[in-house]
Amino acid sequence: MKPDFFWKKSMMQPSQPSTLGYTLRRMVFFTLVALTSLIALGLMVSVFQTNGLSPMELLLLALYTILFSWICVSFWTAFMGFWVILFGRDRWAISRQPPDTAPDPAVVSPRTAILMPIYNEDSERVFAGLRAIHQSLATTGQLDDFHFFILSDTRDPDVWVEEELRWQDLVRALDGKGRIFYRNRPENTSRKSGNLEDFCTRWGNQYRYMIVLDADSIMQGETLVEMVRLMELHPRVALIQTPPVPVNRTSLFARILQFASSLYGRMFTAGLNYWQLGESNYWGHNAIIRIQPFLDHCGLPKLPGREPFGGEILSHDFVEAALLRRAGWEVWLAYDLEGSYEEIPPTLIDYAKRDRRWCQGNLQHLRLAFSRGFNALSRLHFLMGVMSYAASPLWLLFLIATGVEAFIQTQQEQVYFFGENWMPVWPVSFAVEMTTVLLVTLTMLFLPKLLALLLLLKERRLRQAYGGMPGATLSVMLETVFSVLTAPVLMLFQTKFVLAILMRKAVGWPPQQRGDHQTGFAEAAMAHGGQTLLGVVAGTLSYLYVPAFFWWFTPVLLGLGLAIPVSMLSSSMALGRGAQRLNLFMTPEETEPPMVLRDLDRYLQDSEPTLPVLRQATSSRFMQALIDPYVNALHRSLLPEREPPGKRRRHYLEGLVQQLEEDGPDSLSPQQKRELIADPETLLRLHAWFWSRTPNLVST
Amino acid sequence: MNTLRYSLSAPGSEPLLEDLKAYWMALGVTDLSLALALSEQTLRRLPDRPDDEESSARAIIAAGELLDDRLAAALDLPRPSPALRAARAALLSSAVPEWPSILFAPPSAAKPALERLRVAIAEPTPAPNPAPMPTQRIELFSLWFPLRWMQRLLGVSTAR
Repeated sequence: MKPDFFWKKSMMQPSQPSTLGYTLRRMVFFTLVALTSLIALGLMVSVFQTNGLSPMELLLLALYTILFSWICVSFWTAFMGFWVILFGRDRWAISRQPPDTAPDPAVVSPRTAILMPIYNEDSERVFAGLRAIHQSLATTGQLDDFHFFILSDTRDPDVWVEEELRWQDLVRALDGKGRIFYRNRPENTSRKSGNLEDFCTRWGNQYRYMIVLDADSIMQGETLVEMVRLMELHPRVALIQTPPVPVNRTSLFARILQFASSLYGRMFTAGLNYWQLGESNYWGHNAIIRIQPFLDHCGLPKLPGREPFGGEILSHDFVEAALLRRAGWEVWLAYDLEGSYEEIPPTLIDYAKRDRRWCQGNLQHLRLAFSRGFNALSRLHFLMGVMSYAASPLWLLFLIATGVEAFIQTQQEQVYFFGENWMPVWPVSFAVEMTTVLLVTLTMLFLPKLLALLLLLKERRLRQAYGGMPGATLSVMLETVFSVLTAPVLMLFQTKFVLAILMRKAVGWPPQQRGDHQTGFAEAAMAHGGQTLLGVVAGTLSYLYVPAFFWWFTPVLLGLGLAIPVSMLSSSMALGRGAQRLNLFMTPEETEPPMVLRDLDRYLQDSEPTLPVLRQATSSRFMQALIDPYVNALHRSLLPEREPPGKRRRHYLEGLVQQLEEDGPDSLSPQQKRELIADPETLLRLHAWFWSRTPNLVST
Repeated sequence: MNTLRYSLSAPGSEPLLEDLKAYWMALGVTDLSLALALSEQTLRRLPDRPDDEESSARAIIAAGELLDDRLAAALDLPRPSPALRAARAALLSSAVPEWPSILFAPPSAAKPALERLRVAIAEPTPAPNPAPMPTQRIELFSLWFPLRWMQRLLGVSTAR
């Protein structure tokens, strides 16, 4: 037991933020955002207003105000984070606050469920990740306090069967019976939020907390234990989000992103915590949630109306955080909690594909931002989510409007004598103001990168972890060039997604291609051909008609013109590894990988499955479920108890069986295959049918 | 000792017997004589045996039922039941490779192996403990909001 004096001392130090504290921090933050925006706006107005404001200039001003304010929010968040890290940790961080109630050593640790919702993922990677997390937890000595749930929404029949086998293999390898669970939902109603709701309503009562992971999440055991400890110390907190650091990718694109997220991300998350405090947000994974308030307040309704703005809530995480806040619970971002990792898309095209999935969900939040009852900061979170995609079409519109305005200016002849003036009236030059506006905007965009670099000077260990100061500096410079080149490409992608969604073309739910792979010319040309063409046309037009504008426009044109080679080259793993050898884009996780990441790598490289069936090469797990007696028995044993199918359903299944028998498995769609193996009777019948045909052939 | 009674198969059922033998061996029965005996016992469960694909399929299902009967008896499980299906999966998972000899051996001789089998039976999910999760009400923005707000502010009542 801790001595009394220790307890009192720890109570004296950091404290909970008071209402005044919350208000003060936000006042500082929003005043800075507003002031900077107003100054930049003032400069722009001074340029435009001399001859009165034309409609085009008004549009430009409106767009600039929105976009610059958006940049300001980001800049001041980073600046606050810089400040916090420079002068030590935030005294109001959730990890530093004194306990709300004195911890009672006699109380048994609560049981926590670690949830991994999956959907047609690479099973080998998913289960290797879980194994690494399990191993890491085991080293803390607190493995018994945690249960693992693989919550599968997988629809692909081959992946479904593979998951079952991998789960069995994991249970056997880790002696995890009664600790590692698996279920596949018959219907994936409401997607991921429905998947989690299904867990909560069926087993949530047995746990106090759930830690939600993503299919590519990796978390250190110590971090998981610490998250539970923090929740125990602060019963007023319903959710603690950790900042997931991207790791494990080798392509150049992903390594640049990993470096940027790691170096700049820690500053941004510290800044977010600075002004959001207990009204933070939920990012959907690598977070711990108190189950009872989640059950009480996070049952998501369907929004009235059709997609894209109506129907199921797609990006559920923001909404769940807002609902918890609405009910009076606190939501924190534990920016200083390390050991939380995720993997990012390996190529520019995959990155855009992920954006496409997220875009519709975020735009849907526009309706929620003005709904009744939500806290002001929750509304801001919704709007920030919307802006993260809406900013792209706005930037595009801004660029087009600037080009048109420049063209209009070139068409106007200067008049030096007018009215009763006998002296010539020389045109006023606004070069100073315009340069100031441009410089302010560029500073806001690029200064955070410099600040992040400066923070490395503070700590030698960190400096070395990022490849030393020269390596880190060069990496920041190259990353800046790369982000300038890819920004217009992403702008066009996101604009396309936003327009498609607004035109009610619903976005599907395609699974991500998470593993490293290279972009070929055909794929790159398909994805970026239109963008390149647009760049060439825009460049030619601006060069011919507004040559002065052309040179300002070159960074955007270069990005579009080089989209295909940049996309292809950046997907290269060889270039990624080459950069690593040159000490470029290094992250602490690459310089000195934590044990949990080393374990993951080891399990992916060397681990021999315990189950013999997993060691056999097979082209189709679906066929294995029909033929192999063990796979068939395991799959049947994992099917949920259901009423036998009705007459019409039986008739339908009969038709599929006949199709399989007559035309072979390739004639069936994945959905039809799934339906066949989802019915135990049909599964048994097909198993017997295969063995009755050519048993010797089948057995070999 | 094998507890099965051997019998001659009916004339014309040799191909069926061969199919069954191959199936029992695929299940993990490595002893040829035991595989044959089990095949014959399976055949006896079929009332009529025309030599066609359908009867062969029925024979395969009957083999599975025979296995389930033995398994249910050995582990004292109800049949049919999810527990029995899980037990069959565990049995075929190679967790207890010597299962053919223990399943058809006297109960006392099989005890330790049956324990290992019980341990190998998968537990995919814990027992459910249902909890309600009420759907929340989200009142979306409507142009009536500001009007209602002004109405309240002015103290105008719509109640008659």
